[in-house]
Amino acid sequence: MHAARGRRHPGGSPPPIRPSRRSLMLGAGLLPLTLAGCGSDPTISDDPDELVMWYWDRSASPELLEQATEQIPGTEKQLRADTIGTNFDTKLRTSLAGDAYIPDITYINSNNALYFTNENLFLDLGELGADAVKDDYYEWKWNLGMTPSGRFCFFPLDIGPTGYFFRQDVFEEAGLPSTPEEVSSAISTWEDWIALGVELKGGADSFLINDAQAVFESFLNSSPERYFDTDDNALYLQPDSAVRQAWDTAVAAVEAGVTARIPRDRATDQNAAWSSGRTAGQIGAAWWTQVLEETAPDTAGLWRLASQPVRAGNSGGSFAALPHTCKDPEAALAFIMWINSPENQAAAYRDVQLFPSTPGSFEELSYEGDFYGEQDPLEFFSSAAETVPESFISTYETMIGGSFSLEITNVETSGKDPEAAWDDAIAQSERVLIKRGVLS
Amino acid sequence: MSTMTPVPSRPATPERPIPKHYAARGRIATVVTHLCVIIGVLLSIFPFYWLVVMSTQTTAEIFGYPPKLTFGTSFVENVQSVVTSVDLLGSLLNTIIVSTCCAVLVMFFDSLAAFAFAKFDFPGKKALFILLIATMLVPGSLSLVPSFILMSELGWVGTLQALIVPGAANAFGIFLLRQMAAGSIPDELVESARIDGAGFFTTYWRVAVPLLRGGLAFLGIFTFITAWNDYVWPLIVLVDPERQTLQTALQNLNSLYLTDYGMVMAGALISVLPLIGVFIIGSRHFIANIAAGAIKG
Amino acid sequence: MSTAAPARPSPVRTAADPSAKRKRKIREILPLYLAISPFYLLFAVFGLFPIVFSIVLSFMDWDGMGEMTFVGLAQYQFLITDGRFWNAVANTFIIWFLSTIPMLFFAMVIAFLLHQNIRFTKFYRVAFFLPNVTSMVAMAIVFGSVFSDTFGLVNSAFTALGLDTVPWLSSPWGIKVTIAVMVIWRFTGYNAIIYLAGLQSIPTDLYDAAKVDGANLAQVFLRVTVPMMRPIILFTVITSTIGGLSLFTEPQVLLGDSGGAGEAGMTIVLYQYNQAFTQFDFGYGSAIAWALFLIAAVFAIINWRLVSGRGDDSRRRAAATKETRR
Repeated sequence: MHAARGRRHPGGSPPPIRPSRRSLMLGAGLLPLTLAGCGSDPTISDDPDELVMWYWDRSASPELLEQATEQIPGTEKQLRADTIGTNFDTKLRTSLAGDAYIPDITYINSNNALYFTNENLFLDLGELGADAVKDDYYEWKWNLGMTPSGRFCFFPLDIGPTGYFFRQDVFEEAGLPSTPEEVSSAISTWEDWIALGVELKGGADSFLINDAQAVFESFLNSSPERYFDTDDNALYLQPDSAVRQAWDTAVAAVEAGVTARIPRDRATDQNAAWSSGRTAGQIGAAWWTQVLEETAPDTAGLWRLASQPVRAGNSGGSFAALPHTCKDPEAALAFIMWINSPENQAAAYRDVQLFPSTPGSFEELSYEGDFYGEQDPLEFFSSAAETVPESFISTYETMIGGSFSLEITNVETSGKDPEAAWDDAIAQSERVLIKRGVLS
Repeated sequence: MSTMTPVPSRPATPERPIPKHYAARGRIATVVTHLCVIIGVLLSIFPFYWLVVMSTQTTAEIFGYPPKLTFGTSFVENVQSVVTSVDLLGSLLNTIIVSTCCAVLVMFFDSLAAFAFAKFDFPGKKALFILLIATMLVPGSLSLVPSFILMSELGWVGTLQALIVPGAANAFGIFLLRQMAAGSIPDELVESARIDGAGFFTTYWRVAVPLLRGGLAFLGIFTFITAWNDYVWPLIVLVDPERQTLQTALQNLNSLYLTDYGMVMAGALISVLPLIGVFIIGSRHFIANIAAGAIKG
Repeated sequence: MSTAAPARPSPVRTAADPSAKRKRKIREILPLYLAISPFYLLFAVFGLFPIVFSIVLSFMDWDGMGEMTFVGLAQYQFLITDGRFWNAVANTFIIWFLSTIPMLFFAMVIAFLLHQNIRFTKFYRVAFFLPNVTSMVAMAIVFGSVFSDTFGLVNSAFTALGLDTVPWLSSPWGIKVTIAVMVIWRFTGYNAIIYLAGLQSIPTDLYDAAKVDGANLAQVFLRVTVPMMRPIILFTVITSTIGGLSLFTEPQVLLGDSGGAGEAGMTIVLYQYNQAFTQFDFGYGSAIAWALFLIAAVFAIINWRLVSGRGDDSRRRAAATKETRR
């Protein structure tokens, strides 16, 4: 892959990857400009000792970045960290498509599966020696960074183990079990969880969760099986697939009336429901603790965490990757490994509350605060992280997942018949997959 | 307009007295007018007022229930967070450069073209004008990748001209000014300038520009605003953190999981205030235009 | 603009040297081409390539960064039978209809009122201009709070008045009405300011004449203002048709990329954006974009015909003017 670093000149022999764009441009004969076209640079900085990284605010410890700006430990290079806010993927993709001004290091969100089909644009970090630190990381997270062909392109940053957040005061009011231990054992299956929701509705006129989509996704996020396996087999089409079970669970929650029917796109309403106690719970990831503390500080001390039904899942959590044009892959990897060491991830948690992907970090961390009463969310989520199952997120899942979310929301908000909705989601998915050339 | 101007104006003194009821009705009409306008104004202002209120609140207060519509106490902190995380001065300067250049170039090039289209005949005019309108229908959002490729071939990535030059003349403004010129520039003035031996550009400068002042002010202001608020293209094409526009700098405040909405609102407010100033200054030209209209009549 | 032809040769045929005549003609016409050239040059350099690129793209499968695969007409075939696309088309037209007509009507009324030299005009003008500059992030929160089903100000007011609450953001019609309200809110002032600029170029003696004749405000409005404003009205109708058919910001701000419950707020451009920038299906995104181009072109032509009518604007205007003066 290092060969791809060299600048391709228009008119030269077709490069191994993506001849399409430039040949299209030249073929169209539209650009006399290409004559002068050796001007652009595949990397951003001209300085051979400067590595440019793209990240977004609060996804790295500012202090550590500062340190790397002076010198990346163990190398002769310096880091330049550029914040990219919204539209991160659009910016990264445009650079990769344009083959110009590509960062040497880039962060990628939990949607890294989107990049699997173009894995050739990223370096295999395993080849570069990343495996040496593999054992420091949660195995399931490490494996999420692996492409289906077995290349390790996405290095773990943070993780998002999930649990059931609930309002202890509302549960008490409804006369329900209300300590974390009691609730955890009362909701060990999804059926029990929904049954508890019915009692909550009756006792306190409050909802178990805001929307059916959250139920559907939380179920899948805690399932070892998702839409596809690594060989691109469509698991979701099989009878009693995990996707179907997740669907049935979400439908059961809707039919039992335990969802508040506030779809995700209405963030203001969702927040208001949690602050007012109209909705008394949420299946959320570790990073949601911080969101809740900042958006609903009036409810401090009222929230608790219970283990969600069956087992914990994972929602969110980012990666670091090296584009194929990276100036100095060794130094870049050294930086990634350094900033994500257990010690530095602990520092990042203290600085910007990034939840560590290295179990070792927790030895150095302690939670201070009483938003969750006596309960320690750090302890809760670090032990939840141990039970997150191995799973595989396919690129194709990103193409069809939306159909299922859309249809489950239809069932919830407009009373669409669940079977008809399921059939529509399946049909829509099939159409999309055929169009994208996944199915024939 | 052409057949209208020669019609002799009415004498200044009315031939018959204004009916008494007209004045009385006028007063009621004035009250009703004000009432309608004030309702409209309240509806228009309300969300802006809310923005101002939100910029004084914490994230928690913003999302609190019920929403608080009174001022909070966090304004100073919010502004401080913006100022410390954004190179306000540098990005403001870049934004002013880009917006001003865009506005000036668009006003000049668009009015030239509009005047030619509105008041003169030349071979191919109709086809060229249809092409112009058609370009307004062309979907824009998919041009990010090819435009980026183009800019990188030109070596313009990371430069401000990548934001200025492509939009230096636009179909929208030419269409607008052509419609305005059609109504407000009498053919007689153009014709008499021609008889006086003035060429196209002289006529443009002496006749068209003064009469198009209102439309030009509008176009200038809105080009300025559009350039000021543009976000996605600057995000793609500006790669140097030292050279950002206000919008890209402010959007970079957004993080993955947690957003400080108080700070975002303060940033939004800061970025809007200069636009209001530009509008107030620019709209003086409307007043000037009333005078021009009166003289003309 | 056939009446406006100072560049036309005089009807009297002279025996002048034809080459001198041609020279003079070139001298007169050349500056005109020069005047209109900046737009076409910039378009050729910066506009044409992206257009060709996206046309080509609509015959490809492309995820926005990797290899392109030629798929022929597959994207368009998919589009014809794509229920989500046609739903977006229907939504777009409904929202366009709900928003454009009230918006232009209110804009005209406001411009007319502001033109009456009433007091505080300067302040009013700034006020009506504010919606156009207020940040969209703030708008998302404000409109989300105002129209919230359970917690919103509008529903609270309805309850206080003893009316039934409306599920603004979760029912198909509620969503469309809310988006239309947002469009009206955002663009009425903008259009009013265009109209105001147009109104100010109408000679004041026309108004004086009408007033002397004892015409009331409504008569002045209908018989002087509207006919004189025809070219400007045509402009706003065309631009708000184009703007309305490419409606994107409001639904996205209000409902996110998914278009709300049941995709009731999914517009054509939001769907195109969704396909290209969240599904990374750029081929299909391009096909949607070109389908929209066709729809918008047909619609713009219809509107043009409706508003400008047959024949020449200025002649009609002149006729209308004479009528009011009678």
